[in-house]
Order: sequence, then C-alpha cells, then structure tokens
Amino acid sequence: MNNKVNITIDGELYQAPAGEKLLWAALDLGIYIPHLCGNREEERPGASCRLCFVEIEGGRDPVASCTQEVREGMAVQTRTPRVDRLVRTAFELLLSNHKLRCGKCPKNRSCELQKIARERKLKLKLTRLRPLLTAELPTDDSPDSFSYDPNKCVLCGRCIWADHHVAGVGAIGFVRRGFERKVSTFGERPLQESICTQCGECVKVCPVGALTFKEESK
Amino acid sequence: MELLEGELEQIQRETENILSRHGTERQELIPVIQDVQGRLGYLPQPAMEQIAAAFKLPAVDVYGVATFYNQFRLNPPGKHQIKVCLGTACHMLGGHIILDSFERRLGIKEGETTPDREFSLERVACVGCCALAPVVVVDEKVEAKVSPIRVDGILLAFEIEKKEQEKEKAEEKQEGGGQDQ
Amino acid sequence: MSISQKYAALRDAAIEKFEKTKQKPRVLVGMATCGRAAGAMDVLNVFREEAAKHQLDIAVEEVGCMGHCYAEPLVVISKPGFPSLCYGPVDEGMAQRLVADFLVNDDPCYEFAMAALEPNDEFPTFEDFPRGVVEQRIILADCGLIDPDDIDHYLAKDGYAALSKVLEMDPLAVIAEIKEAKLRGRGGAGFPTGVKWERCYQADGSPKYIICNADEGDPGAFMDRAILESNPHQLIEGFIIAAYAVQASLGYIYVRAEYPLAVARLRTALDQAREKGLIGKEVLGSNFSFEIKIFQGSGAFVCGEETALIASIEGSAGTPNHRPPYPATSGLHGKPTVINNVKTLSYVPHIMRRGADWFKSTGTENSPGTAVFALAGKVVGTGLVEVPMGTTIRELVYDVGSGIKEEKEFKAVQIGGPSGGCLPESSLDLTIDFDSLQQAGAMMGSGGLVVLNEDDCMVEIARFFLDFTQKESCGKCTFCRLGTKQMLEILTDITRGKGNSEDIDLLLELAEDIKMGSLCSLGKTAPNPVLTTIRYFRDEYEAHINEGRCPGLMCKDLISYMIIPEKCSKLCDVCIGSCPTEAIYTRPDMLKAIHLDKCYKCNSCLASCPPQYKAVIRVSPPLVQTEEGGVQNEQQS
Repeated sequence: MNNKVNITIDGELYQAPAGEKLLWAALDLGIYIPHLCGNREEERPGASCRLCFVEIEGGRDPVASCTQEVREGMAVQTRTPRVDRLVRTAFELLLSNHKLRCGKCPKNRSCELQKIARERKLKLKLTRLRPLLTAELPTDDSPDSFSYDPNKCVLCGRCIWADHHVAGVGAIGFVRRGFERKVSTFGERPLQESICTQCGECVKVCPVGALTFKEESK
Repeated sequence: MELLEGELEQIQRETENILSRHGTERQELIPVIQDVQGRLGYLPQPAMEQIAAAFKLPAVDVYGVATFYNQFRLNPPGKHQIKVCLGTACHMLGGHIILDSFERRLGIKEGETTPDREFSLERVACVGCCALAPVVVVDEKVEAKVSPIRVDGILLAFEIEKKEQEKEKAEEKQEGGGQDQ
Repeated sequence: MSISQKYAALRDAAIEKFEKTKQKPRVLVGMATCGRAAGAMDVLNVFREEAAKHQLDIAVEEVGCMGHCYAEPLVVISKPGFPSLCYGPVDEGMAQRLVADFLVNDDPCYEFAMAALEPNDEFPTFEDFPRGVVEQRIILADCGLIDPDDIDHYLAKDGYAALSKVLEMDPLAVIAEIKEAKLRGRGGAGFPTGVKWERCYQADGSPKYIICNADEGDPGAFMDRAILESNPHQLIEGFIIAAYAVQASLGYIYVRAEYPLAVARLRTALDQAREKGLIGKEVLGSNFSFEIKIFQGSGAFVCGEETALIASIEGSAGTPNHRPPYPATSGLHGKPTVINNVKTLSYVPHIMRRGADWFKSTGTENSPGTAVFALAGKVVGTGLVEVPMGTTIRELVYDVGSGIKEEKEFKAVQIGGPSGGCLPESSLDLTIDFDSLQQAGAMMGSGGLVVLNEDDCMVEIARFFLDFTQKESCGKCTFCRLGTKQMLEILTDITRGKGNSEDIDLLLELAEDIKMGSLCSLGKTAPNPVLTTIRYFRDEYEAHINEGRCPGLMCKDLISYMIIPEKCSKLCDVCIGSCPTEAIYTRPDMLKAIHLDKCYKCNSCLASCPPQYKAVIRVSPPLVQTEEGGVQNEQQS
C-alpha cells in the first residue's frame, strides 16, 4: 500500500498508493468525487449509489471509482460529458425518492446531497423526473436520542455497517427488495422495540437527514 | 399477528427439528428457511428468531433474506393457494384479466388472503407453461387456458366441495349422536 | 477394470434391458408440467386402466416434453410391426379408442395421428412437415422419448459415453475441444464457454466449484424446465464433464423454486447416477471425485446474475456484486467458480462425443450449433423448438411455428424476455445468432420468443417488461431501483392516456443512463424492451400520448367495448350470460347494449359473441357515458 505510483487525474500528475481504491486516493488528494455508499473499511465495495463515476483511459465506459484500484500510469477524468450525465441522472433519481424539505431538515448545510449539488452545480429540486415518494413512510421517533426518517434514506448502507461492525449490535439491516428495499429492524418494528442499544454509531455516519440526533433538530 | 394457544410451542418444536437436520454454516440458512416454510406454511417471527440464534446471526439478517425472496411469506397462507401466472405469454393472452377476475371474485388483492383464510391469491412470473396460456396454478394443479368464466368455475368447485364436506360432517355428527343414544 | 470397460458394462446392461421393453407395445405419455396442465394425468390413467381391463401386456411410461406444446397431451405408441406414432392432443375418449383399436386390434387410428417417429411407408414423419425441415435437434433430440426417471434409457442411447471418454483425457484437452467448438453460453450473453473454463482451471485456489444455473426466470421461457424434466442425465453428464475440465470437486445445480417437478426428477436422476458410480468418489473408477448438490432458488429473477446467484447459495439476499473479480477467479466462498446455463452444459456431452467439427457444421461461423426457443404467444405451433443458429425469424414464425393464430396480422416478435427486445416485421429476415440480435437491439436472452399480433399493444408490452424488471430489481443500485421505477411510471402514464410530449425523449435518456450506470446486467439490459419498441413502434407511443388512442386496442383505459346494433342478433343472450359484472342489458328494442360504467373490460362478451354475429367490438379512444345514462351504441351513431 505504501508503494506510491504516478497517476494523472484531470490532466494533473499525482502520486497515490498503488492498490488503493481510486475514490479514496482522489479524495485524499483533495479531488472531489461525489459518493454516498463508499466505505473505506469495506473490502469489497458495494458500489450501489452509482455516483462516483470517472472515466479511465483505455476503458470503454465510465466506471465507479470506488471499485478501481490505483495503478501506475493510470489516467483518470473526473468530469466528462458522460460522467456528468450519469452523475446528474443518479442524483436526480435519488432526489425523486427523497423528502425534499431541506429548510426543515436537521442535516441542512451538512448534507452530502447538498454537497454534491453544490460541487456539481445540480438543482436540489425535481425538474425532469416524476416524484416517486408518493406515500410517505412513518418516521421512527422511538429512540430517546435520535430519530429515523426512511423517506430521506438513500440506502447507502453506512448505518448498517456501523451497527454491525463498529457497534457490533446487529439491530438494523436491509429488508425487502427493489423499490421497497429499506433499512429496518427485525420485523420492521420501531427501533425502541428492537435490540438497538441507541449507541448512536449509525447516526454519526448517515450522510443525509435520515438518521439525526434529536438535539440537532432542536 | 397474534399466535393461537399452543401455536408457539409447535413452531418452536418444528423449527428445532429442522435445525437439527441441517448444519449451521451460513449456506444452510436458505435451505433451513425453506424447510421451515414447507413445514409451517409461512415464516413466523419466533421461528426466524430461533433460526438466527442457531446460526449466530442478527435476527434482522434472517428477516432480510426472508423478505428478499418471492417464495417466502410472513403470514399464514389460505387453505387454497391461487397463483396467477403473469409471464409474457399469459399476460399477452389476458392473464391480467384473470388476476382481476380473481381479485374481484375473492374481494382481495394479489398477495392477500381472504378473511376466512380459505384462499390466498398471488401472481407468479411464469410457471413455464407458456404454450397453454393463460395459466393459473390452483394449489398444485395447473389450469390451462383459463377464461374469466373458468375463474368462477374454479371457485364454485371449492364452494361445492366445502358445502359437501360440511354436510358430511353434519351427517357424521348426527350419526355419531344417534349411536350415543 | 478400465474406465471404458466399466462404462461399457453399464451401457450393455442398459441396452439389454431397453431391448426387452421394446419387444412389447409401449405407450409413452408426455408428463412434463405442460402436459400435466393439459390433462396428461387423466390420459395416462385411462391407458393404465384400459390396458388392465383388456389384460394387455404393454408398458405405459411417463416421459418428458417433446416440445409440441400446441398438441398436448401428447402420446407416442410403439407397437412391434408398426411405425412409432405420435398422437395429440389426446383426450380420455381418444385414449380409450387407441387402446381398443390399436393395442387390442391392429388399427393404428391414423386419423388421430400427428406423425410417425421414424421413416416408413405408411405415415409421414415430423421431418416431412415444414417444422421438421427447419428444426435440427441436438439437446432436445431425446426429450419426450426417454423415461427421465430411468437412467438406463439414457445409457442405452450412448449416454455417459462422452464422460467415459473425457475421463481418459487431459482436462486441458477437454477445454481445448470446447474452445475449438466455439460453444457460447446459452444463458443469454453468449460468452465463450471454453474461455470461462480455462480461466477457472488456471485460477489459483482450491477447492473449485461449478454451478449450473437453472434459475430460469425469464417470464416467457421454459426450455430449461423442459430439459430438466425430460432429459436430466444429459445435463448431469455435461455438468460432470465441465467439473472434470476445471477440476471442480463440488457442483451445485441452482433450480428455480417454481419448478417442483424438475427438482424431483433431478433428484431421482442424481441418485441413479450416484448408484452407478457416475457421481461421487472416483467417478467410473478414475481418480476424479465429484459431488453434486441441488440448491433450490427462492424466487428472485436477479439470481440469474452470476454474483447474485453466488450470494444466494452463500445464504444471503441475492444482491449482485461489482465484477471484476469474476467468479472464474473468485466466486463461491471466494474460490474459482464456473457458472453455466442448463442448455450450455447439455451441449457438452454431444460435442465431446462427436467432436468440435461436427458441432461447427451447424449454425453460423461465430455462433455454431443450435438455438432452443420457447415459442409462445399468437403463433399456431407453440412449443419448444431447436433450430440451427442462422435461421431467420421468418422461418421460425412461419415454418416452425406455422404462422399466426386466427389468420391475424403479424406485428412483432419479442425475443429474449426482459433483457431482450421487440423486433418488427421488417426484421423478419434477420438471422438469429448472438451478434445479429444484439445489433438489432434485442438479445438471445434465455430464448423466450413471444409472437405478437395486431391486437397487441407495443407500449403495453414494454410496460409489462419494465413492471417485471422493476419488481425483480434487487434494489441495491440507484439506477435499477429508481431508474426502472421512473420508466415504469412514465410507461404506465402513457398506457393510461396521461403521457406528455416529452415522455418519449425522457424514456430514451433514462434508458441510456440505466444501461450504462447500473451495477449488474439486470439493470443494464432492463431498458431494452423500451428502446426497441420506441425504435420500431414510435407511432404507437405517439398515438397513446397525442390521441389517447391504443392502436392494439389493449390498454384498458383507452378502449371501450360496444355492441354494433346492425350485427346483434337480438334473440341471443350469450353476452349477457358471459358478463361477470352485469354490465350488459337488453334494450326495449331487444338489442343488447353495454353500460360503460359497469363494464370491467374483461373481454368475456367479445369472446362469447357467436362468430356468425361478431357484434361486440372494441374501440379506441374510449367512449364516454352520456349524462342521461345514454347508451353507447346510440352515441356512436
């Protein structure tokens, strides 16, 4: 890992550790690539949010940078028309199923979606697509210190990782399939009725306003 | 869902039986869940918790698997299961009309069970009898080239069967009563 | 005893047993799922009962599917002194007559026969029909003619000869032969099988695994089911050979849960093969040991995707993972794993027995061999067909399938299911192989081929497939979870007459992004049905959006049913009886009419109106009920 190699990102020459996943190498170098599901600790990236696209010279199509290992001589473009188009569509798709009430959201100004919008000059409202969030799911306010609003969840899975691997509890996981996939507990019960210890590790890693500490909302 | 008296014990016993026949490596998880459903008709929450404990997994992981696959059901099925095929051929030859007809006749939507637990209605994505479309699987029997009228016929047959059974039961009772006297 | 001697002993015993059964009359009843659905069980029982009644010494056997689904239930009777004859559809009455006239007496009832199985002077064979001329059967050849529950039937036909030969070869030589044959994966994408095997063989890691993907989930394909139910040993032999080639020690056959009969027959077949020493420790006395397990799927189309299938066997939800690493290097439990489709593996014994050159003599340069299609929809000769690669769609629909039902107009074929596309009349002369279909925007897919006619709405069929993929999406990645949902919403709006002028362009934009951006091939191919229908049938989309009209008269919200007064007989009440919602009534002038508000659009009245009247029709755009509760017929005039 310490073996640094030369790579070119957007025409600039950099040195990055060989074998490191490109997304993290770029972020370490101060180059922003949009991402939500990325988790540095996870050996096999989920590659599910489909936001961290880049084009690599010699490759046919844009690829998710969280899946690509840095190698000597790699030439990367983080902004091409194809990349921008994919990022825009993926972002808009996420927004089409996200409760867009930033003004009232505790995560306002620290939300990763807002950051992506700012960095990539994307609108935080739906213009092209149809709103998919027609029937809102109830917010789980049962824990003392935090609440969970599934209507803001982007299914990045970071909370589940924290719950299982940092806290070692295993109260939450992905349940159901397809459009109905969501983060929930056994039997989809309120967190208070699950084995959740309310340690708050999951809340710390939520990139959006789905899991928020109650003080924040005050 | 509330369990009836004695039901919990039965669930635990059956689940324990099945667990004892399988190992507890992760790859046995789906076969175990399949066997439990095969035995109990559905996956009661206590059974899933019991399985999770045996596999040393968080219960939510078992729940996640159970809710991912089409085959698994979390509620008890009806006495008769009606599966309407909505594969391509069946759909193009009116499978959706057949599903509509069942929904209308039974007063339930796909994925539901009638309040009397007599029928449950499901859609399936192709049972592989495309040449005989539209197809309905009633319990284990495949019904070929089903029309809306046939839907009435299928349900009527069950109704008659049920009435006859009730009649028989009533007669038996009478006879039994007669012997007592 | 050497491997070949051991095998010869097995085969000779089987032949001896088989020859004996041939001496008395045999009745073979097609008892695959499709046959059973058509009533084969009752027919089988009649043969058994009647034979007992007449005290006949005959064999009544259950066999699999011959592929002539349009004529199910299908029966083959072989009586010494007569050519083997195929009858269908056979009902109970016909079964009684066949026993009385043919088996008791010597009248073969030619009036009921479809074809003879071998050339003779009395009756034409299947090869004499257009279907037989085009068809060339390799992996379907024995389906429906051998008893799938008796390994000796397969052995007697040189079954497992290829395995015995392979076990004396070097694994690399086996891989070389398959590479030389240019066998391509029949699961859909057409990846060269030999290359896959080679990668797995060369990959570091032990043990190695092999998986047969029998999770046939395409909602219009049933060939894997038919092969599993009709000739399971052909697959098992190919599976063992593949395992030997990559030196795998454990294999899984991943079968769809919706195929209980296939699972049962597979279990029987595996037990018999194990008993004969073809599976297990030291196969046929060689130093190669191999075990096979059945893994039953639990209903998830996405598990047809390699990485999802592996996740499923490992005991997790079937969500795909990013590739690379490919399963050939890091698959099940992180070990090198080969995943092949049922059909792909079924070709293997034939290639190993007859050689790569023989295989390449059929089909096209880059897609040698045959293609198996499940022919369904509005075509006369529905069923399972096997044709050389390079056959045109026209030959498939008109020669093999005998054309369109009820003399309607051909509109399109849907090839490849949810990953494939719809090809119009102008593509009829397109030759079918992996590459040409991909160029046309469709895909070989798993081989479902649904014929559509003038009554089918192309927007609706696109919506149907999107509804399917959207429901079957695992939900992991953004493009597939939300992108297919967006497309479905748009298509649903269009079929309800609520589309707007930008929708077609938006569909095209989303389709392109989903193809490029999705994590796995389910998402990457999901837009194909929409892209091809827009490419070839854009006018139908426009009719829905701009005129609120469904040209195929299929979209419920855009049609009305009406009874033409001039054609209605007045005296006939059939439509009234057929209507489940009592929407049809008799007017004072005795003509029948439909109350639009009550009409559920179930098509029963149209289907039941006697053909001499044909008074019920559909119209689009839909009619509107007038305020005075007006009668639609009057409105129309």
